[in-house]
Amino acid sequence: MKIIEINFMLNGQNIGLNADPTRTLLDVLRTDLGLTGAKDACGGEGECGACTVLLEGKAVNSCLVFIGQVQDGSVITIEGLNPAEGYHPIQEAFVEAGAVQCGYCTPGAVIAVKALLDSFARPSEQEIRNALAGNLCRCTGYNKMVDAVQLVMDGGSDG
Amino acid sequence: MQDIGFYRPQTVSELKEYLNRPGARMLAGGTDIIPKMRQGKFLASLLVDSSGIKSLQFIDDQGEEIILGALTTHQEIAGSALIRNVNPALAAAAESIGCVQTRNRGTLGGNIANASPAADTIPPLLVFEASLNLQCQTGARRISLEDFLLGPGDTALQAGEFIHSVTFSPLNGRWGCSFQKLGKRKGMAVSVVNGAAALELDRSGKIADIRLAVGAVAPKVIRCRKVEDHLLGKAPSPIIYKQVVELTQDEISPITDIRSNKSYRQHAAGILLSRVFEEAVDLARGKD
Repeated sequence: MKIIEINFMLNGQNIGLNADPTRTLLDVLRTDLGLTGAKDACGGEGECGACTVLLEGKAVNSCLVFIGQVQDGSVITIEGLNPAEGYHPIQEAFVEAGAVQCGYCTPGAVIAVKALLDSFARPSEQEIRNALAGNLCRCTGYNKMVDAVQLVMDGGSDG
Repeated sequence: MQDIGFYRPQTVSELKEYLNRPGARMLAGGTDIIPKMRQGKFLASLLVDSSGIKSLQFIDDQGEEIILGALTTHQEIAGSALIRNVNPALAAAAESIGCVQTRNRGTLGGNIANASPAADTIPPLLVFEASLNLQCQTGARRISLEDFLLGPGDTALQAGEFIHSVTFSPLNGRWGCSFQKLGKRKGMAVSVVNGAAALELDRSGKIADIRLAVGAVAPKVIRCRKVEDHLLGKAPSPIIYKQVVELTQDEISPITDIRSNKSYRQHAAGILLSRVFEEAVDLARGKD
């Protein structure tokens, strides 16, 4: 396979790597770059949302993006959400609302919420549920995630 | 994954050049093709990734015609005030696809070129008699969406050719349109049956123009012309709505597959078409 050089912004930093362009962004993040926040739960079908990252500021399933398609683009993963110390307000709200249990779906769900709150300052409950419709959770369930988003809004955080 | 070349053109002219090479196939958002490649069901020796071509991502109001660039995403269509106004059925169909993550990647041109019998954007485009602008290195042509679709996964696209844009004319006067789908659940589900209606009522409330389309019950999304012919000139009523349920049965040829079975689809398609018809009538009446 022809390996090509791929350059893009990852969590605010320029990055260059050599890779088969038809490997997925998720695979490269986890295997080559050691960023294991984004997860694979459905086997690369785009069904579960556990691999959600921001690409050009929009929530996407990183298992459905080839690394070659990220050329010159901008990617934010859950690792890029953290301030230098502590947690992002969305992460804190997930903890406070009890929206984390096994944690496998949490990074993807937090990123999906980040994309939502970047677009809408005060989404309705239905808009929150729509934004999380692609993020499957099999332990906490969804009500506590909705509570968490409402906590972020009520806390006056900019998300 | 296969041993293949990969190009990422930035312009339409580069795209034409790369697609002209032997074994080249086009990749857009990748939401269908990437899982298919992983399963070995999509073969190409040269993958041409069009997702970086910004000039194919637009929604343009030309008055007589609305033009959508092939790389316009489902999320952009669902959120477009223009599309919600001139073809709310298309906006609803785009919004019903997958989840926000897939709508942010999946494109209109990709949904059409993929030519699934269950493609959600196709019924609302068929009922607006949409056309496609196709291009290749040696020229351009226009083809109706109905003629473009040949069968499951099969289209009139020639080697080196790609969908540049999709165009349809808005309806005028007392018009209404609707899209609905049935799936196993509300989010993420591929349609078991989907359908759309677009119609115009005359001054006396009779049907002056009607187009009905139904998906996932034939090798491709189809117009139901016998039903349309029956409805033309009639005043919509509960009896008429019921007739649509029965008449639809003769126009479709559903199969049993992983998502549903033949007899359910046969039954549900008529009911779904009756519902979109009634909803379109209600919208048209609201324009008095």
